[in-house]
Amino acid sequence: MKKRYFLLFVIMSTLLTSCSNKIVYEEKKTDPFERFNRNVFAFNQYLDKNIVKPISTSYADTVPINARKSIRNHLSWMNLPTTIVNSTLQMELENTILASTKFMLNGLTLGFYDLDEGETKVQQKDFGSTLASINIPEGPFLMVPFFGPKFTRDLTGVLIDRQNVSNASPDIIDEINLVEIPINIIDKREKLSKSIDNIYESPDPYIKMKSYYIQNRRNKVYGDKYLNTKNDELDAEFEKLLQ
Amino acid sequence: MQNLKNFYNNKNKVKIYLLSVLSILIMVFNPLNSNADNLVKGNSLIIEMISKAQTHAIKTIKLQPEERSSKIQNLIKQYINLDFMAKATTGSFWKKASDVHKEKYKDALLKQIVNTIEEHLNTLANLTYKHRNSELRGKKLVYVRGMIEDPKKNQPPVNLLWKLAANSKGKFMVLDLEIEGISLISSNKAETMSILRKNRGNFEVLLKKLNKNN
Repeated sequence: MKKRYFLLFVIMSTLLTSCSNKIVYEEKKTDPFERFNRNVFAFNQYLDKNIVKPISTSYADTVPINARKSIRNHLSWMNLPTTIVNSTLQMELENTILASTKFMLNGLTLGFYDLDEGETKVQQKDFGSTLASINIPEGPFLMVPFFGPKFTRDLTGVLIDRQNVSNASPDIIDEINLVEIPINIIDKREKLSKSIDNIYESPDPYIKMKSYYIQNRRNKVYGDKYLNTKNDELDAEFEKLLQ
Repeated sequence: MQNLKNFYNNKNKVKIYLLSVLSILIMVFNPLNSNADNLVKGNSLIIEMISKAQTHAIKTIKLQPEERSSKIQNLIKQYINLDFMAKATTGSFWKKASDVHKEKYKDALLKQIVNTIEEHLNTLANLTYKHRNSELRGKKLVYVRGMIEDPKKNQPPVNLLWKLAANSKGKFMVLDLEIEGISLISSNKAETMSILRKNRGNFEVLLKKLNKNN
């Protein structure tokens, strides 16, 4: 029954995709839960400083760079099925083909070695971006315990993507997820180490984290459409200041 | 006599015609030339800045912290329009700030940039920069797009967008930098405005917070 509803939703999404052209985001009032979010941010920061950062630092110190690169390749390979499904839903056939080819090709090494050496540029797609493509607004900004910053729409997307992966192969994938998620967190922390430390050192780390997340997420979801709109606004502001 | 007069008049007409064509051509092509000139200036400034920053990174890594900071500060002042950055990041609060606060804020901003560069000196010394394209935006702005790559390919390439404009002396300077679509001015502005709004535009509080981390 659950699967039927999901299938229906997928079909509806696909049909609606064809009429999507707008960028649906609100520049103001994105953070109605600021006080709550700041508390969660403080909690996440505490966890990060005391648990995640020490582990990721020792991971970077002990694991050689080539091994870390292989693990990173494997993690991004594991994410390709999500990209394939969501690119298809968004009718981005070129990305679907590229992601499928990359998934099959690198499947020969279980994704640990990138056989095309980064030549194929696959755009990562998730269910959040699929929802955005059918003009579902991003919703309020949330700081989620353990997960970090997310728009409500993207949090729903993450949960549905996870559900899809575990539906695909319930037994093995669940076991892999138990190992994969912590490694993913440690790998990402190591990769973004300088940027995160830079955020913590800023006068208002919460606002800085929020601003980086919003710009990065909108850039990923809306691509050039967002960048052009943002740059047009900034240009007008800059020209005024230069007068 | 009449024929001679006609010939003289026709000759003048030809001259006037040629002059007007020439002036129209100058009017049409001169802005294009100056636009192309601006693009070239913008490009060469970024390439010069990056090569100088890399040379500085290699040379200054071994220096004492204070000497290193002052050298980086001089480099930043040559290429980055701090006056503009200070105005752009404080929005409407800039006009209300006193001259002392304005100067102090600019110093704090400079220190912040120096600290960020110092943290990335090792990376800066090893990366390679590739120019992608340049674009004229509006009447004053020039966009220069490029990419930094790790020669060992351990890190993915990073897309950069520099926004430049000529200052009052006609020298092109950097106004903003976008790293993978994240604008430094936008994120700094969000932070600064949030602090100023909460403290009713009190620059002392903002400066205290900035200097605490510098």
